[in-house]
Amino acid sequence: MTIALIVGTKKGAAILKSEDRKNWSSEFALKGWHVTASARDADGRYYAAIASDIFGVAIMVSDDLKEWRQLEAAPRFAPGKKGNADHHRLVGAFDFEGKYKEGGRFVDQIWTLHFAHGNLYAGVSEAGLFVSKDRGESWQEVEGFNEHPTRSTWMPGAGGLTAHTVLTDANDPNRIWVGVSAAGFFRSDDGGKSWAQKNEGIDSTIGQCVHRITHDPKNASVLFRQDHRGVYKSEDAGDTWQRAEAGLPITELSDGHRCSFGFPIVMDRPSKKLFAIPLDGDNFRFPANGHLAVYRSDDGAAHWSARANGLPDMSFAGILRGAMGADQKGGIYFGTTSGGLYGTADLGESWSELAAGLPRIFSVEAYS
Amino acid sequence: MTIRVQLPPVLRSVSGGRAELQASGNTIGEVLEDLARTNPALALHFFDEAHAIRRNIVCIHDGELVRANCARTHAVRPGDEIVLANALAGG
Repeated sequence: MTIALIVGTKKGAAILKSEDRKNWSSEFALKGWHVTASARDADGRYYAAIASDIFGVAIMVSDDLKEWRQLEAAPRFAPGKKGNADHHRLVGAFDFEGKYKEGGRFVDQIWTLHFAHGNLYAGVSEAGLFVSKDRGESWQEVEGFNEHPTRSTWMPGAGGLTAHTVLTDANDPNRIWVGVSAAGFFRSDDGGKSWAQKNEGIDSTIGQCVHRITHDPKNASVLFRQDHRGVYKSEDAGDTWQRAEAGLPITELSDGHRCSFGFPIVMDRPSKKLFAIPLDGDNFRFPANGHLAVYRSDDGAAHWSARANGLPDMSFAGILRGAMGADQKGGIYFGTTSGGLYGTADLGESWSELAAGLPRIFSVEAYS
Repeated sequence: MTIRVQLPPVLRSVSGGRAELQASGNTIGEVLEDLARTNPALALHFFDEAHAIRRNIVCIHDGELVRANCARTHAVRPGDEIVLANALAGG
């Protein structure tokens, strides 16, 4: 059993491989690019989203994780679309030309790639959803999402207006979910033609800053959400949400709200175990007191408990929303903003450091 | 004669590993258009959704710094060299 990790960082991708999850080979690919997401299609082709502040976004493909080839097409908005002014202010720091002042809508990052039912989806910022039906050779906007009637009210989080999570239903190709910071969670039941917001029960006052959502696509209606405002569960495909934080550390947010703050949440689908990494609220965004701990739930988020064996007690780094992945063989992996990469082969009972000193880690995906 | 264009390392994966490409044109904009025609994967990196030269691209033309907003009309002559700078900041 070969396990491969694609670890997307600010300056390239660390590619790790192992047969036993004890001994890992590693190489560093796509040097110089932000690598923000990866995916694998049903035929085993790997896709990596790359970006540069100067040279824009693109998608690289590889059939062996050694040789990479850039596709000629990438997600791009049609010219002339109106952009989000607040998003422009957040991402336009090097806008010498003043282009953003013209108000256009541009793809500046691809934050998630998701393959399902023969479609490759890309969630991007400025928030948008794109689909490719030909392995990335061409891309189409999902207009029903990108031109959602509420779009003019969407507000960015501090990281921009970002579509970062795409989920699908293994039993229903017409059902798709998309998470947007900070416009919330959306669901389509008609293949992307129309979308409804799905945030009922989330205790939020300003925007809907969903951080990450996970589920088992074969039991797709049961969803687990790490939100800015805590951890939530839905058993009705997102129609309603309930707090699911028993056993998680509760911290104070900048507005006084108390909840379990964090970014990634993943599921080991065979065991249904869930994994989250609580941080010390949105004021600090690192593990409380530096004690890095992964929390695990064995009962569908009814209860959580810490799994920290082998993790450092002096870690003041963050863990970004895409920076944790599961190999679906009991292996969970995550990376930090200070370039530490950690893994477990036994569902969190013990952890080891797989790499140190990587650039800021954006994404971790595991493939078995 | 043609214009020599020096690519930064991040774009060499699109150029088959070559650090220098040759192209034709009377302006930097035309040179970039020519490069995009002969190397279509480069088009994503030179031009945005509105087919404007990407706003953060900085060219060095025979020692002169040329930002994207001037590159469309900045004149070049056969034999000139354009360096596409990967103008990053910090670590």
